[in-house]
Amino acid sequence: MKINLVKNVLEANEAAAEQNRRRLDDACVLAVNITSAPGSGKTSLLEATVPALADELPAAVIVGDLQTTRDAERLAAIGAATTQINTEGGCHLSAAQVAKALDTLDLTSLRLLFIENVGNMVCPAAFDLGEHVRVAMLSVPEGDDKVAKYPTLFQPADVILIHKIDLVDALDCDLARIHADIAKLNTRAPVFETSTKTAAGLDQWYNWLRTKCP
Amino acid sequence: MHEMSIAIPLVEQLQALAAEHNAARVEALTVAAGVMRQVVPEALVVAFEVAAAETCAAGASLTVESVPLAARCRQCGRQFEPSIDSFVCDRCNQADVEIIDGNDIVLTSVTFQQADDEDQPG
Ligand SMILES: Nc1nc2c(ncn2[C@@H]2O[C@H](COP(=O)(O)OP(=O)(O)OP(=O)(O)O)[C@@H](O)[C@H]2O)c(=O)[nH]1
Ligand SMILES: [Mg+2]
Ligand SMILES: [Zn+2]
Repeated sequence: MKINLVKNVLEANEAAAEQNRRRLDDACVLAVNITSAPGSGKTSLLEATVPALADELPAAVIVGDLQTTRDAERLAAIGAATTQINTEGGCHLSAAQVAKALDTLDLTSLRLLFIENVGNMVCPAAFDLGEHVRVAMLSVPEGDDKVAKYPTLFQPADVILIHKIDLVDALDCDLARIHADIAKLNTRAPVFETSTKTAAGLDQWYNWLRTKCP
Repeated sequence: MHEMSIAIPLVEQLQALAAEHNAARVEALTVAAGVMRQVVPEALVVAFEVAAAETCAAGASLTVESVPLAARCRQCGRQFEPSIDSFVCDRCNQADVEIIDGNDIVLTSVTFQQADDEDQPG
């Protein structure tokens, strides 16, 4: 017997994501899902961002990693409330994992929740975590062809960071090509050129977060 | 990659559907995968074999169909079919779209073997 149907295979993840979003809405917390390749500078960006905004927008961090608690240790060192999720080989975070991590946080004291996804340019794009905004990050050393190679990371992003911009000259990176490739995928997201080495572009990034906070 | 995160809930759904239809086994199924989800069909088939082992869906034949993109321009409302590498609306030259198809992974057909099929001759 054959039946035809329309059943969303990811409905359980999407339902959990909606629940997370409602929970965060109730607490007036803006959830920011940060996606990039491994090593683009997600943790470094948060090490700068969380203290810079601490007085006006208290933040916590949920950090996903395949193994180790190193990123969580780095973030705890700067005084950010941090919850580590070890995905044990999983290439992305799921909404259910984030739900568990939310249980460990006192949401009422927060205005911002950063979710550092597992470093991967393909898989995290397919899984809603219940975030309000998504950040796609590309760092200059990865090469100026990466936007075109990973369209599903950049097309749905709410903001795009071209990070480690301090290295642009040393690496002969064709910045115009990166901007042209982004313009084909996503003209809705603002694009900031950032560096945690020189602090370039960080004020633009902070201002963008301020405008998004409820 | 993320194909295992698709195969696991897929098998759970098949188990629920088999119970609902009083079926002993799943023989075949079709999944329509939107191109935005970047599913590699061969990888999904392998992940499905692993996830389905020792369930009523073990050995079922999985067909993966690809669903192309359809989008609506948020600036001018035009509907069009972008390619994965360009979402630019050629009326207003902006890449600011709402994806209306090609964004989901959907189970579209299941073939069951009924619980009593096994006993029937021929
Ligand atoms: N030159 C330069 N180096 C940077 C910058 N930001 C980060 N880095 C360096 O890049 C390396 C990786 O940074 P992380 O912040 O650990 O990157 P990540 O994205 O969190 O990495 P994973 O969590 O492993 O995916 C570190 O050695 C940082 O010091 C930057 O703006 N400029
Ligand atoms: Mg990190
Ligand atoms: Zn248009």
